[in-house]
Amino acid sequence: MKKLKALRIWLMSILGLIPLIFISGCNLNTRMSTFVTKGPVAETQLDLFMLTVWVTGFIFLAVGGVYVYVVIRFRDKKGDENIIPTQGHGNPLIELSLIGISILLLVIIAVPTLQGIWYTHDVPDDESSLLGSWYSHGDISDAAKEEPFIIRAIGYRWWWEFEYPQLGITTANEFVIPAGRPIHIELRSVDVIHSFWLPKIAGKVDLIPGRANSMWIQAGDSKEAWIEKNNFSGSDSETQLAYLKYLEDEIYDYYYGQCAEYCGDSHARMLFRAHVVSDDRFYSWIDRMKTGHTKAPDDMNWDNWYQAYDQSPETLTGDINEGLKLFMGRAKCATCHVVKGNPRAVGVAGPNLTYLAERHSIAAGWLNHRNEDNTVDKKAQLANFIQWIKHTDDVKPGNLMWKAKGGGIGELQPLLNDEEIRKISLYLQSLQ
Amino acid sequence: MTTDTTIISNPKQNTDISELKPELSDIGLVRPDHSKNVFIDWLTTVDHKKIGLMYGTLALFFLLVGGLEALVIRTQLAVPENDLISAQRYNQLFTMHGTTMIFLAIMPLNAAFFNFLVPLQIGARDVAFPRINAFSLWAFVAGALVVNFGWILQALEAFGLFSASGPTAGMNDFVPAMGWFGYAPITGKEFTGAGTDFWIMGLQILGVASISASFNFIVTIINMRAPGVKMMRLPVFTWMTLIVSLLIIFAFPAITIALAQLMFDRVFGTNFFSVAGGGQPILWQHLFWIFGHPEVYILVLPAMGIVSEVLPTFARKPLFGYAIVVFSGAVIGFLGFAVWSHHMFTTGLGKIATAAFSLLTMAIAVPTGVKIFNWVGTLWGGKIRFHAPMIFALGFVWMFMMGGFSGIMHSSAPADAQQQDSYFVIAHFHYVAIGGILLAIVSGIYYWLPKMIGRMWQGKLNIWVGILTVVGLNITFFPMHFLGLLGMPRRTHTYLSGFGWETYNLVCTIGSYILAFGVLLLLVDIIRCFRSKIPAGNDPWDARTLEWATSSPPKVYNFAQTPIVNARDAFWADKYGPLDRKMGMVDESHGIHMPSQSWMPLIASFGFIPLGLGMSLMQAGVPYAGYTAILGLVILVLGIALWAIEGPGGYHLHPNKQSH
Amino acid sequence: MSQEVAHDDSHHNLMVKNKKLLMWLFLGSDCMFFGTLISTHLIYRKLYPEEFDPTLLFSLELTSFSTFILLMSSFLMALSVSAMHKGEIKSFRRNVIGVIFFGLIFLGCQVYEFAHFVHEGLTLSTGTFGSTFYLMTGTHGVHVAIGVFWLISMLFYSKGGNMEAHKNAVDVETAGLYWHFVDIVWIVIFTVVYLIEFIA
Repeated sequence: MKKLKALRIWLMSILGLIPLIFISGCNLNTRMSTFVTKGPVAETQLDLFMLTVWVTGFIFLAVGGVYVYVVIRFRDKKGDENIIPTQGHGNPLIELSLIGISILLLVIIAVPTLQGIWYTHDVPDDESSLLGSWYSHGDISDAAKEEPFIIRAIGYRWWWEFEYPQLGITTANEFVIPAGRPIHIELRSVDVIHSFWLPKIAGKVDLIPGRANSMWIQAGDSKEAWIEKNNFSGSDSETQLAYLKYLEDEIYDYYYGQCAEYCGDSHARMLFRAHVVSDDRFYSWIDRMKTGHTKAPDDMNWDNWYQAYDQSPETLTGDINEGLKLFMGRAKCATCHVVKGNPRAVGVAGPNLTYLAERHSIAAGWLNHRNEDNTVDKKAQLANFIQWIKHTDDVKPGNLMWKAKGGGIGELQPLLNDEEIRKISLYLQSLQ
Repeated sequence: MTTDTTIISNPKQNTDISELKPELSDIGLVRPDHSKNVFIDWLTTVDHKKIGLMYGTLALFFLLVGGLEALVIRTQLAVPENDLISAQRYNQLFTMHGTTMIFLAIMPLNAAFFNFLVPLQIGARDVAFPRINAFSLWAFVAGALVVNFGWILQALEAFGLFSASGPTAGMNDFVPAMGWFGYAPITGKEFTGAGTDFWIMGLQILGVASISASFNFIVTIINMRAPGVKMMRLPVFTWMTLIVSLLIIFAFPAITIALAQLMFDRVFGTNFFSVAGGGQPILWQHLFWIFGHPEVYILVLPAMGIVSEVLPTFARKPLFGYAIVVFSGAVIGFLGFAVWSHHMFTTGLGKIATAAFSLLTMAIAVPTGVKIFNWVGTLWGGKIRFHAPMIFALGFVWMFMMGGFSGIMHSSAPADAQQQDSYFVIAHFHYVAIGGILLAIVSGIYYWLPKMIGRMWQGKLNIWVGILTVVGLNITFFPMHFLGLLGMPRRTHTYLSGFGWETYNLVCTIGSYILAFGVLLLLVDIIRCFRSKIPAGNDPWDARTLEWATSSPPKVYNFAQTPIVNARDAFWADKYGPLDRKMGMVDESHGIHMPSQSWMPLIASFGFIPLGLGMSLMQAGVPYAGYTAILGLVILVLGIALWAIEGPGGYHLHPNKQSH
Repeated sequence: MSQEVAHDDSHHNLMVKNKKLLMWLFLGSDCMFFGTLISTHLIYRKLYPEEFDPTLLFSLELTSFSTFILLMSSFLMALSVSAMHKGEIKSFRRNVIGVIFFGLIFLGCQVYEFAHFVHEGLTLSTGTFGSTFYLMTGTHGVHVAIGVFWLISMLFYSKGGNMEAHKNAVDVETAGLYWHFVDIVWIVIFTVVYLIEFIA
């Protein structure tokens, strides 16, 4: 019995592994799963991963099998105590051939790895990658037409800014992209190192201060790639329909991403979202972001509103007006936040709040109010706004909005009261 | 034929150390030799065996500390949106967990084995520079104290005995919270406080300790081998010690300079890593990993050495392909300097560099695989006896293989883009660190502790230690592969529900408690061994290498007479080999020269404490910090100067037959 | 000096004394220290070629002079090692005094140079050039200073006739190795930090 105790331990540990295999068999289609890929970059990465899994799995079975056999076969049996086995020192032929086999197995991984490195590094160098080849809405400069579509992701502690330099808009934490189009992402950081990770669409690349990193992503296959992949043959309109159906069924969605490089206290709460939509919805979103909120509350125009605000603020009544007054005044929100359209909300230290109420989360993805059908849960949204303004430092410890060397809302004297917070929240909810 | 059969002695001469008269050193002070006071004896010792035991004890203590930190981390992550501890505390915990486990637990555990075993395995009386050896140990203690100083302050603060106010207001935080590889620029003074300074100075001191210890081992192994112990007859463990020591002396300078640059950035306003002044944070990553990757092999090669000793002993066969195992160890060490950037695949290295480091990383899998093949080859045709050391060694091979496979998965750079900084990486290196290194070290403890203390293990607790650690480790870390692939980034103090991570995290947490219980049982078993009444005897395992030829525990002089070695597995050949392979004896009838004990290494290295703390607190503007640092420097220099002029001293012993 | 002869009666597998082997290993390790410092400097120099023009600041004459002084000190060091081997303590002491003297001149030059540079506006925080330059040359200066300190204590120690060829030659030789190494490092620094700026 004693001789078998190692075997018993192995048996136990294999038994211990069984429940793990069980849970691993359960749902792999989760929000940030790398197993469910929705774009060519992530797909390449998954393919390579699976290749390594198969190769190492093969080695595991081969070497592990021999290992288990050897341990059982050559165990010390009763009565063997005084037998001294042959003192063999090795066999160069066996050793060299094993080295040869290992090198061969590694080559199987190495070749596609090199291809993968080249493919995933830059936006494919072809005509259809250029912004001019597909962007057919509004004016873009001639230079932009010759470039790929560029989004600049800027990391702050602890939120994300997304600029669309060619289209002239800026948003924060949730960005919108069209399906099937390659996008060149410029990665910049203003403070420490962050990492941009959108698992279903692409693996991560770091945002390093003082360094111009970039990556490319694409949600879903381009039409050409999709036709080729599915061997689809049919008339142009049939193809178009089937392709749109593919996008509709599989690609248009709300994708979750997160900062993947430790960046300080609230690193865990630095999430972001990518909303993948059709070209048409993308265009209309761009239009809205460009113009912003052209009207002040109560459908006033901004000149009139500010005239009233400056001269007789008491004439601006109602929760939303009160909220905006606090936003511009006592709460000092506008010193750090841009609300496009509002001529005086032009601070750039904090996230851009244009159409904030249309986003499905706030606080860099930590407080969520998204319904399953991709609409906004208004009740949860209001509660989230209130929680964020009231407990900023608990939701995101160490952030600048709470304490900014005298300028934060946690340093206001007195602090905002519940009624004020509710009014600001109601105003924010009107940003839609 | 063993050493005790042919000893020539003169019974009239002193044989008992305690009967020797204390002598004066060259500076006129009494040497602390032969002290009857146990504390003085251990504090001033230059005996590599006592130093090894102290390394081991301290390392086990820090293993517990690091383990406790890990348990708090796992408890916090058991359920989503948990608020057991604050974000800042969590970040401190994972930073100190990594730092503690690597620099204060595994490295000194390895050092414990190096110290105890290397001189015995090569038939030497001690290491080449016994006082430098003591200095390394105490410098390690000083460094450990400085790194952990933040926890002490934190504890004082919790009891209301200290707070960062008034003169110490500039400290911000006490415990480092930037991750164990401290990526710039989060280590800049605008982002972190005094904790980072403690970390910088602590690591510097630990670096001094490691480098000086490594010089010692290299000289010892190259120059102090007993007659006939050719390089290709060295036990594999000693070989791995040599390679690791070489890695340390060539890898540590990179981090020493990087830390110095960082310290200058924080204290003197230089611009090495500060973006505002043109510094490039990416440079830190290069310098750190030029050290950091060899460091991985610094941690794992000794484990491979231990297993390469245990497997042949319990299979009763020589190591299969000794030369190729040694050679592949050297290749791993050499290639280890050429793969650092695989920790940086996501930093935008460019295609060419990424490809080159990807391929080199795959290449390093070959010598690692070779070792595994050779271990299996060693077992083939043997008579495998399942004693406790063997169980853990067999477990090592299996678990290390698992860690190696996920390593191969990382080597494919595009696949790594999804794995980097996720829980997949955590799973990978914990399979290597616990499944690999820790199991091997436990195997080494079960194997050599009877030699170290002369008592034999009792009872069957080792079976439970084995089951609990192996099962616990798999339950903790196997699900982490999936966690990482399902998108959970590492170093997050909490997570939202709804991402499919809840079950995995809970399972991991449960596993970590099982693992912790296993480690606790190991300590219980070690204590039981110390209390055991069963004498170990010289050679309880029917082993193969030279250390088993002498008594357990070995006498202060190791071998009454220096052996003359005529075979690779010297002791095995002596027991079972042909006549021309048996050991001979050097005639040492004139007695054995032993080095004197000394206070100076202890005094000199404790100068590091005020030096380190003073330098750390300078950044926070704490008054007198600079003077404290200068005081430390003075103590250090004075200690070394007195050390130089007190002279090595020494005394002669004449062991007789009985005392052996 | 630092006499770590634990085993008077032990043999050495290599024909090198332990102490000397230790110094060789230290120098190997030290190569990595200076390698890291010098490469940091060169990397930043290449990255920001326009940041700072050292040719306006560096005085090639002064640095060439101090380099020459250091070279000469190495020559004297070699003489003192050989004197020690022959047991000529007097000659050894004479040469060591020369080494110390030259070492101090070198250090003086460096102190003057640093003071001058700081005066001209190149400080530790002047971009990356100031940082890398001072840390690198400063580390080298500390090496020279330690060497001078070492030799001075050796000089004092040898005063009372404490040193003998068979016992202490290895000590002097070890110190000599160190001194030559520090000298070689300076030649590398002089070439890649000073000279190259004027060539390019």
